[in-house]
Amino acid sequence: MKVRLKVKRHDPEAHGGQASRYSDYTIDVPEHITILDALLEVRDYHDGSLAFRYSCRSAICGSCGMRVDGRGRLTCKTKVTDLVKTEGQEILVEPMGNMPVIKDLVTDMEMYWSKMDQVTPWLQPADPGPERENLVSHEAMLDLAQTMGCIHCGVCVSDCPVLEIDKSFIAPAALAKAHRFVDDPRDAKTKERLEELSAVKGGIWDCTRCNMCVEVCPKDVRPMDRIMQLRELAVKAGVASGTGARHGEAFVDSVQRLGRLDEMRLLPASVGLWNAPRLLSEMPGALRMLRAGKLPWNHALPWRKPIAGIKHVRRLFDRARREKKEASS
Amino acid sequence: MKYAFWPGCVSKGACPELYDSMILTCAKLGIELEEMYDGNCTGAGVISEHEPKLADLLNARNFAIAQKMGHDLVNICSTCQGVQSMVQEKLDRDEEYRAEINAQLAEEGLEYKPGLVIKNFMWVLVEDYGLDKLKEKVVRKLDGLNCGPFYGCYILRPSRILGMEEHPERDHYLEQIIEAVGATAVQYEGQDKCCGFPILTNNRKNSLTQAGTHIGSAKDQGADCLVTPCPLCHLNLDAQQPSAAEVIQRELNVPIIHLPQLLGLAIGIDDKLLRMNRHVVGTQAVLDKVMAAVEA
Amino acid sequence: MTVIKHDVLVIGAGLAGMRAAIEAARNGADVAMVTKLHPMRSHSGAAQGGINAALDEEDSWEAHAFDTVKGSDYLADQDAAEILAREAADNIIELERMGTAFSRQENGRIQQRPFGGAGFARTCFIGDITGQAILHVIYEQILKLGVTVYEEYYCTSLIVEDGVARGVVALPMMTGNLTPVQGSAIVMATGGLGRVYSPTSNALACTGDGMAIAYRAGAPLQDMEFMQFHPTTLKDSGVLMTEGARGEGGYLLNKDGERFMEKYAPNKIELASRDVVSRAEQTEIDEGRGVDGCVLLDVRHLGEEKINERLGQIRDLAKDLANTDIVYEPVKVRPGAHYAMGGIKTDVHGASPVPGLFAAGECANVSVHGANRLGGNSLLETIVFGRRAGEAAARYAKEHASPQPLSESVLQRDQALMSSLMERSHRGDGGDRPAVIRGELGEMMHHQVGIFRSREGLASALEKVRELEKRYQSVRLEDTGKVFNMDLITVHELGFMLDIAHTMISGALAREESRGAHTRRDFPERDDEHWLKHTLAYDTPEGPRLEYGPVTITNWQPEVRTY
Repeated sequence: MKVRLKVKRHDPEAHGGQASRYSDYTIDVPEHITILDALLEVRDYHDGSLAFRYSCRSAICGSCGMRVDGRGRLTCKTKVTDLVKTEGQEILVEPMGNMPVIKDLVTDMEMYWSKMDQVTPWLQPADPGPERENLVSHEAMLDLAQTMGCIHCGVCVSDCPVLEIDKSFIAPAALAKAHRFVDDPRDAKTKERLEELSAVKGGIWDCTRCNMCVEVCPKDVRPMDRIMQLRELAVKAGVASGTGARHGEAFVDSVQRLGRLDEMRLLPASVGLWNAPRLLSEMPGALRMLRAGKLPWNHALPWRKPIAGIKHVRRLFDRARREKKEASS
Repeated sequence: MKYAFWPGCVSKGACPELYDSMILTCAKLGIELEEMYDGNCTGAGVISEHEPKLADLLNARNFAIAQKMGHDLVNICSTCQGVQSMVQEKLDRDEEYRAEINAQLAEEGLEYKPGLVIKNFMWVLVEDYGLDKLKEKVVRKLDGLNCGPFYGCYILRPSRILGMEEHPERDHYLEQIIEAVGATAVQYEGQDKCCGFPILTNNRKNSLTQAGTHIGSAKDQGADCLVTPCPLCHLNLDAQQPSAAEVIQRELNVPIIHLPQLLGLAIGIDDKLLRMNRHVVGTQAVLDKVMAAVEA
Repeated sequence: MTVIKHDVLVIGAGLAGMRAAIEAARNGADVAMVTKLHPMRSHSGAAQGGINAALDEEDSWEAHAFDTVKGSDYLADQDAAEILAREAADNIIELERMGTAFSRQENGRIQQRPFGGAGFARTCFIGDITGQAILHVIYEQILKLGVTVYEEYYCTSLIVEDGVARGVVALPMMTGNLTPVQGSAIVMATGGLGRVYSPTSNALACTGDGMAIAYRAGAPLQDMEFMQFHPTTLKDSGVLMTEGARGEGGYLLNKDGERFMEKYAPNKIELASRDVVSRAEQTEIDEGRGVDGCVLLDVRHLGEEKINERLGQIRDLAKDLANTDIVYEPVKVRPGAHYAMGGIKTDVHGASPVPGLFAAGECANVSVHGANRLGGNSLLETIVFGRRAGEAAARYAKEHASPQPLSESVLQRDQALMSSLMERSHRGDGGDRPAVIRGELGEMMHHQVGIFRSREGLASALEKVRELEKRYQSVRLEDTGKVFNMDLITVHELGFMLDIAHTMISGALAREESRGAHTRRDFPERDDEHWLKHTLAYDTPEGPRLEYGPVTITNWQPEVRTY
């Protein structure tokens, strides 16, 4: 089949406006090929100056992450026919986002790796360890295997919207890596890790839960789900005292009380009633909403009515919590 | 067509204009809504963060209520849709787990049976109602109104649970609807990204930077307003917009319109009834354009 | 001239290299790794099925060593095979304690699965991502120890002064400026050469760099004619479907739905050694009982749950690359070039005959695999002999610390080559693009130096490789830049590949017997009287010069080999 590629180029040795441009290629290839195969075809037979990373072609080395049709993808796992729905449709190939470009589709992943360093990326076992292997359950190891399936291709970091606006965010891949150790029964620093991940700038509470990393991850690591698990564990371990954790508690509390969200109390409860400066900073916003008729003042009344089936809802709460308690004891 | 209508918490709280416009618009379109008055909050992903099983129970309860009413469920919130789809996928896939959940619902006389159709209003419009039928209902073509679509994360991702295989165009419906009512859909960086709302309390700067950046990029592409199917996005994009403008240090002033409001305007509902005045960022500029189009 | 300098240099950062670096660092050496890929990108990560060790009380390292020797068709050096098997358990336990998430038994101990050619279920695994799981854990230890890594530094040659290895010349891909890297001891750990074949299960990076670099520097390459063809690789891409699929109970079927391995290996059936299974598959295909040039790998009876847990990666790969969901249908597979048994000749401490040069992993030949490697022994080799080479290199570096600087001329030869290549790229002239030569090489190796070989075929291969070497002299480059010039790198790699292929062809042509993976149609029997010996290839301007060396036999006299 004929495949049309539009590839973003960057020549670091060119002067001024010449550095960035697009190259168009039309190649004739078998139907089953991947985007990486297509790029290799271009490099081998059409334009030897095109630079990109590659190695295993089997979705395990993580070299060939790029942005294809506007989304981070592992190009050796993406078939041309996954994207081309109508004949002659062009495929846009660009370097990953959130990283500087070295040349063409090759990005500088230094930032990516340095974020790994932030989460103490090695096991910290108890000392002294056992004589032979650690005796752990199969399920515990199986659990780790999904997170360890991460091949560090970088596409989740490429497409993470939080990182776009805040470079300090540890970002999905490294936080998933952190989860891998927190979740490991052989690690002796679980609490310390959770404490750090909770308190550090750019830590677990800065994720907006947008699911972008879950969507683009080629290995189904579901980094965001790992971050959510870290939050849950941090709360459980009693090391999460920040706004994020309180927000969760306030939210849950309001649903338990009313069956619904109580937005009037959510903010003050989240930032902390003692946190006067922060509350004050919210005042203009609150006033604006009040003026626009967007703050349902009557919701603030202590006798706000819950939903009719509240007793059933509360029972679900009680049951779920009792089960949880039993499970952990 | 009749639906079990789940309004979500925000349309009954901080975004009453969404609720009112939804009721009026549906009435005029001939979409019958039977409200789930006794439904509970979906948890917005926050409860599942801390107590996953509790979140599943709460949502299963809603599903069972809708099934008892005997209709498909329609919601008007991207976040509700995402949470509901996520829980439903889990319940439908795992029979054992479903039985466990149902055992707890039984005391209220409820049971969830797999296969409930759960659709955001945006999906209902395109898939059930039909864009052609919608076009017929338009009495005020919104010619010249440039709308930036803003989807909200949970109605787009993760796509594997959101029926994208069966309906691959679901990530373009907003544009299709905007065009169907005669307006122009403006494409811009950020239309499928996060509004920042979930971390508003935790990291205000990041949250508002995200909101502001997206609004700004839509404005740069010539958008007169943004249209969203998600009231939580609306809160950050509209109610927080003046603060967002301060944070990113640029003037924004871009009205944020709820999807039913856009439809309501096009099918001739009075803007006051649509509560177009209940926005933090004034919507007069949008209304002027609408009226100008009508007069022309 | 700025020179980077360390006690020990490790070239390549896969499992063998990183394990060597860890051991050298533990022994007090200042270690640096020089690698053309980020360590996490190394092809060790693609190993799927597992790593062998006699852990069970009913098993023994002696049994493991015997299976290894038998698997090698008695060409392995038995002292080395014994070390491999004896040191396996401790090394696996150490990997576990570093954090490797091995699959477990009910009692919490490491679980093991049966593998080809083994008399006991002794293959430890993590689903079918064993290599990746270990690679990541080993890299974590590199980070923990703070070992210096020069990543995306492509090595062009070994610096040898007065017969002693003193460093390497490297091309940092970021700048494109050749740089000398000095070390008192150098550990070559660059992995395999699969790319001289097409198709192959190997990564695009597996171009035999370290072997060629050592060979050009005077080190002999041993037993290069022995290339393993993995029985289960995907039809179009050559991508691997783990032996674990058969270890877990998968069948191989021909077009009549017959488990044909019953004919070839009545006892072990699908779990005979790889050379036996690949030959059988090729015979079925050649005799018209194949499907579309393949046989079928059928794991449906294992059920979805087990497949997801134990074979999840290959399920994804088969879906993505062969449009087949192995839960519901058998997948077409065929033998594919997979692993080089041959490599840089070393002793059991990883030392090559060139003083200061060590080697470990697939690029080395100790030799534990002889004429055919058992599945699960390559990961093991990287760990056991990577560690030994690292320790020996650190000791050597301490004893031979050389304070005198490198001579100014060490870059001369490489610089001249690079300049001429770059000039050619600027002129835009020349003959074939590297892909054309590479393609012809791969196809020729596949057909003439494949599973079944003959004098005619090998002679034509020899002729062909000489022709390609000639055409390579005027290979055409297109990228004129310095920064990340992948065109230049692939051209340079192709030079390595041609040298390597030449040694493989010469060795195969000379060896007039059939042993392990080397099957001559014209000499179908193993001939211990004349050929129970190692082939040693030395580089000369006329091509490889072959010599032969003895095989070390300790406990097991060669016997007829059946499965």
